[in-house]
Amino acid sequence: MSARPASPFARFALVSSALVLVALILVLPLISVFIEAFRGGVQAWFEAVSHPDAVAALKLTLWVAAIVVPVNVILGVVAGWALGKFEFPGRSLLITLIDLPFAVSPVVAGLLFILLFGRRGWFGPWLGDRGLEVIFAPTGIILATLFVTFPFVARELIPLMQSSGNEEEEAARVLGAGFFQTFFRVTLPNIKWALLYGIILCTARAVGEFGAVSVVSGHIRGQTNTLPLEVEILYNEYRTQAAFSVASLLACVALVALVVKALARKYSNERHRNDEKGVR
Amino acid sequence: MAAFAAPPPVSASAPAPPPLTLLNVSYDPTRELYQEFNAAFIRHWKKTTGQDVAIKQSHGGSGKQARSVIDGLGADVVTLALAHDIDAIASSGLIAKDWRGKLPQGSTPFTSTIVFLVRKGNPKGIRDWEALARPGLSVITPNPKTSGGARWNYLAAWGDALKKNKGDAGARALVEGIFKNVPVLDSGARGATTTFVQRGMGDVLLAWENEAILALKSPGGDRLEMVAPPVSILAEPPVAIVDRTVDKKGTRAVAEAYLRYLYSPEGQSIAAQHGYRPRTPEAAKVRAFAPVKLFTLESVFGSWEKAHAAHFADGASFDRIYQK
Amino acid sequence: MSIEVRGISKQFGTHAALDGVSILVEPGEFVALLGPSGSGKTSLLRIIAGLEQPDAGSVHFHGEDATARDAKDRKVGFVFQHYALFGRMTVFENVAFGMRVKPRANRPPESEIRRKVEELLHLVQLDWMQDRLPSELSGGQRQRVALARALAVEPRVLLLDEPFGSLDAKVRRELRSWLRRLHDEIHLTSLFVTHDQEEALQMADRVVLLHEGRIEQIGTPDEIRSRPASYFVREFLEIS
Repeated sequence: MSARPASPFARFALVSSALVLVALILVLPLISVFIEAFRGGVQAWFEAVSHPDAVAALKLTLWVAAIVVPVNVILGVVAGWALGKFEFPGRSLLITLIDLPFAVSPVVAGLLFILLFGRRGWFGPWLGDRGLEVIFAPTGIILATLFVTFPFVARELIPLMQSSGNEEEEAARVLGAGFFQTFFRVTLPNIKWALLYGIILCTARAVGEFGAVSVVSGHIRGQTNTLPLEVEILYNEYRTQAAFSVASLLACVALVALVVKALARKYSNERHRNDEKGVR
Repeated sequence: MAAFAAPPPVSASAPAPPPLTLLNVSYDPTRELYQEFNAAFIRHWKKTTGQDVAIKQSHGGSGKQARSVIDGLGADVVTLALAHDIDAIASSGLIAKDWRGKLPQGSTPFTSTIVFLVRKGNPKGIRDWEALARPGLSVITPNPKTSGGARWNYLAAWGDALKKNKGDAGARALVEGIFKNVPVLDSGARGATTTFVQRGMGDVLLAWENEAILALKSPGGDRLEMVAPPVSILAEPPVAIVDRTVDKKGTRAVAEAYLRYLYSPEGQSIAAQHGYRPRTPEAAKVRAFAPVKLFTLESVFGSWEKAHAAHFADGASFDRIYQK
Repeated sequence: MSIEVRGISKQFGTHAALDGVSILVEPGEFVALLGPSGSGKTSLLRIIAGLEQPDAGSVHFHGEDATARDAKDRKVGFVFQHYALFGRMTVFENVAFGMRVKPRANRPPESEIRRKVEELLHLVQLDWMQDRLPSELSGGQRQRVALARALAVEPRVLLLDEPFGSLDAKVRRELRSWLRRLHDEIHLTSLFVTHDQEEALQMADRVVLLHEGRIEQIGTPDEIRSRPASYFVREFLEIS
């Protein structure tokens, strides 16, 4: 109210420069991916993405996401519940720790797993004696991806569960609801949009993770190469068009994630506004 | 693969006998070479034994790949840029110490050398190593700390000065002058090539001969030209069986046959086609290699251990030069 | 049904919230737990409901020890200070909740649930609002939904935590007399927490006055007014 309304010219200049910036650093690269991908025509694009190595990379990537995302949803909900709804010693330390994967460089995260599970790592010899491969195998890729994507679900849920408090859950309990009834009938409906939002971010990152996976993958084509690693290899082989074709698959994942994310945000905001309106 | 089943293999062909797989852990520039060679060997193995074999490839910087094998990457064979990296794996106990004597020519089936890649028409007139130290020139080379190829670059320049009787001081001055002209140090040979060819940085790229030949064929290669210096180093990228892995997997026979096939007429010819200097004169007719006077690392630096200690170890010659 | 607590103590960190509190609420009685904030009255109510565990002492319903029983099995009706209605459910579903989560064997059929909910909403005079969301209700209406929801499970006792705490003065006065009349109709043993001495003295059959985790006085409003047991009681009644 107190701020002087900007002159129409200043407003136009601000808005248009923001739009130009967004176009330059976000939209243009995205479009260029698709232009490069289809430079050789649809046929070439299809050949690139249906190449056995690309298909294997796609399968591995989806495989990893299919394991990582549900596990992180469960871990995230448990962590969100414990941290959002209860007070206990070490709680604030735990909240800080949840952000650790964001603070640590993915490369370091990958090296950490080599330190733990590599042939000369802490558990490597024990695993090796039993013929268990972790590093340079899909298991290691899954572990590394789990690590780097862990915060996404938990971080979405903690503030929400904290602000919504414990009252509805307590009310359900005195009304005779058991643990699972309380969770599915009361807690879950309250967090579902935030949860969906977290799942999308988690999925997008799980599919796109490069750094940590690159360290533990071993880069074995058709076996431990995920989509992002395949893109890099193709690019380094001077197969630019194929690299961008495979990259276009990743871009599609990103686009779908963005759309669902926008919808989830919109929905949860609407709900939130309605709730607010009623309260005061 | 225990906790999680591996995703289904891509080529599910072999019906009866257990599918045989080899993992060849190699360095960056050999992707195209092994793609073709693997196909040839698979045919050869099927013809001679009736067995199907699948060959998986892993590529990266030579030193990094050696490190991965030491950390547990299950390579049956390693085909790296320099003997030093295989020595490192050997000293971790995975490869017998005397690996070099197990195959002909010191376990080096083909050789290469270091050449210059310049812009079309050689506008800066670069002909020899001394020209690289000229002030104002921009030289692209990867980091000798992480890249096998870059070590050869460095040693080639140093050796050139020694061959001209300039002594260690002269050699240091030359190498110092060259690295003063290096704007960025990529971590691997392929990264440096991309910087030079596709991002258009630099006046000259120091590259493997085979890498330079490949770059000329790649998109944008028509704007480039290869210059062979009068003197360069004989680069010997060696190969070895990872004894620990093949004994555990029972793949020793096929792994040995695989490496030996590199010395066969077909293997040698494929190497030559991809720009590696073959060992047999027949295969050398496949392509005309530039006449370069090649000196071996041993003749100038004694051995890889000595070269490493004097030049690439922490605080050694390269660190002192680059930190200036 | 009676409510009895014997020698309840509860520590939060180093702070003793309750220190050896014993109370007996007779069947059908309407008792106020009165005290300044921090006197331990809400903690006591939560311990009776099973939402907190006491460090020492026991809780009995109808003479039966319920200390070890989980909150969900105690069959108490609890009205929370901020109502704690389920924000994503309609008024109808809020009230029906306690019946819907019963084990399949004793869950009433849908028609029975509907009849019961309508009856309760009629009782709290909100039968025309059953399809609204809690956010669309006024404070006083939410309060009454919370009460209907608590009554739907046919509790043996009713516990109310500052039931009028977040309402404005006019609505509070109306609701007070309404709640008292309701109690006289259904005769459910009830215990309510308040910091407002006027509210306690006006509504309750008996008042328990708490101060720093101990009982200062128990008695009928008349007794407390005419014979305050301590300096604190006199002071508290005059000031507030």
